[in-house]
Amino acid sequence: MFIASAKLLVAALLTAGCALARAADLYVICNAHVSLSPADVRDLFLGEKQFAGAVKLVPVDNGAAQTMFLGKVLQMNLAKYSTTWTKKSFRDGLNPPLVAGSDAEALAMVKRTPGACSYVTTLAGVDVVVVSKQ
Amino acid sequence: MDTTTHSRASRGRSWLGALLMASLGHSPIAHAAVAESDRIAALEQKLDQSLQLIRQLSARVQALEAQPQTAQSPGAAGVRRVAAAPFAPPAAAAPAPAGSAAPPPTLVDTAQRLAQVEQTVNQMAASAGQHAEDTTGMPMHGFADVGVGNHNAQFPQYQGADIAELDFFLTPRLGSRTRALFELNFEVGEDGSLGADLERAQIGYQFSDAATVWLGRFHTPYGYYNTAFHHGQQIATSLRRPRFLEFEDHGGIMPAHTVGGWLTGSERLGDEKLTYDLFIGNSQRVTGGALEMNNPGNTRGSTIIGGNVGMLLSGALDGLKVGVDAFQTRIEDQDLTPSPFTRVRSYGVYAAYDTDTWEDIGEFHVFDNHDLTGGTGSHHSDAGFLQIGYRAGRYTPYARYERGSFQQSDRYFAALRHGESYYRNALGVRLDVDLVSSVKLELAQTHFTDRVVSSYDEALLQYAIRF
Repeated sequence: MFIASAKLLVAALLTAGCALARAADLYVICNAHVSLSPADVRDLFLGEKQFAGAVKLVPVDNGAAQTMFLGKVLQMNLAKYSTTWTKKSFRDGLNPPLVAGSDAEALAMVKRTPGACSYVTTLAGVDVVVVSKQ
Repeated sequence: MDTTTHSRASRGRSWLGALLMASLGHSPIAHAAVAESDRIAALEQKLDQSLQLIRQLSARVQALEAQPQTAQSPGAAGVRRVAAAPFAPPAAAAPAPAGSAAPPPTLVDTAQRLAQVEQTVNQMAASAGQHAEDTTGMPMHGFADVGVGNHNAQFPQYQGADIAELDFFLTPRLGSRTRALFELNFEVGEDGSLGADLERAQIGYQFSDAATVWLGRFHTPYGYYNTAFHHGQQIATSLRRPRFLEFEDHGGIMPAHTVGGWLTGSERLGDEKLTYDLFIGNSQRVTGGALEMNNPGNTRGSTIIGGNVGMLLSGALDGLKVGVDAFQTRIEDQDLTPSPFTRVRSYGVYAAYDTDTWEDIGEFHVFDNHDLTGGTGSHHSDAGFLQIGYRAGRYTPYARYERGSFQQSDRYFAALRHGESYYRNALGVRLDVDLVSSVKLELAQTHFTDRVVSSYDEALLQYAIRF
């Protein structure tokens, strides 16, 4: 009985662990012709970096994973992100990132838009550059 | 002894069962009536079935891996890589029944499935993703604020309720390197009339992150406050600008706007960031006791020229920006005949500390002016402010001290309606009602120290929004 209970515990922990691991995956991706380092991701999505070489960058927020991205990568919540972009727009005349509604939409956008970068929770093997995995 | 041991084991099993149920997302309450032993037995049976299924799937994976494969699965890890290979779905994604003898999918099958998935993705993106591709629109944002107090925050001769301003700014998406920014402001003037100002009208070309050149009318990039907040009252912590930094038509003694050219950019220096501004434009003039920007150009060919260099720090000083600025211009006082000219030269230093908890701003400017026509010589004046704000959730209490010490023998300050020396103490609190609106309450004392020595107290309330 003790062994059976131990198996149950291990299975439960494995199940929970796998669920957490899957929920935590976040890939920052860019169009195949973009060369971007992980250190540039924060600047990109805050409007501080707009070019990668001669390529004009096009950040695309993924509404389905935005909360995770803001917490993991930018270390801010949605309210602060919105306020930051309001200030940026007002001061520098920049527009905040476009918003995709899902991983699929973000992937498709990044795939066909030169300079586009976004983030997704799953990779579907399209022709993109994975900048970092969080 | 045996009874105790049995009780411990029973409690242990209960705890394990509850943990497993919780981890699988089931409610233990719904199963409270089920006999504990039956429940554990059922769970053990499910676990055995799961283990058996895992063994079967593992065997199938091994069988698939034994087949020749040319496709590569995009691994999950990696800092930077190109995932151009076709995606091979994991075998576990399509579990076969126990003991199934179904043949493994061929590469042709996989390719067909991949094509179907890709088509579906593209259809979803095409149908749902239109808003993410809108590159032709005209994003419009704005600010507005209204207030009430025992004095008007800008024109203290009034009291009661007031409408302050409605400000629109437009940032059209023009292309990869061409940028534009237009700001249209409606505000009530000192005479009570409603005025419309094209606050900013600038069109620029961005060479890189390090260089953008703008032409048109822009916020003169001196210090920190003038470009950081300007008419964006909702994004400013305090209820109003420092008095000496007010807009020209509100009595400001520094040219808040310039019509001309502006080169600006930033560059990473390790973890720090260097920012710079260089500008040249029409010199301003004094008319009606206020600065005027000379929007159409000026008649004497005078210019304002200046610059600003700042550094954004990192590490323990993350959030701190420090910088210096300077400008020089030649101001004509058109309220007198013949019109005297003053060379106005300003040097400034500033620091702003902006974090999740603090917003502290300090600026200090000195003026080294010279009378070019009247023979009154050179004059030295200065002005500055220090503001400390503490962000405590939705509330941000703040305190500000500001002062301006302006030589009244200086023709420039003497010509300005609000060019008298003063100091002001203010205590206030900002309440963020929600993400886009805030209410601010400020208590202030203002003291004038030369032309007419006087003082007045203020209790002001402002409701500001952004959209």
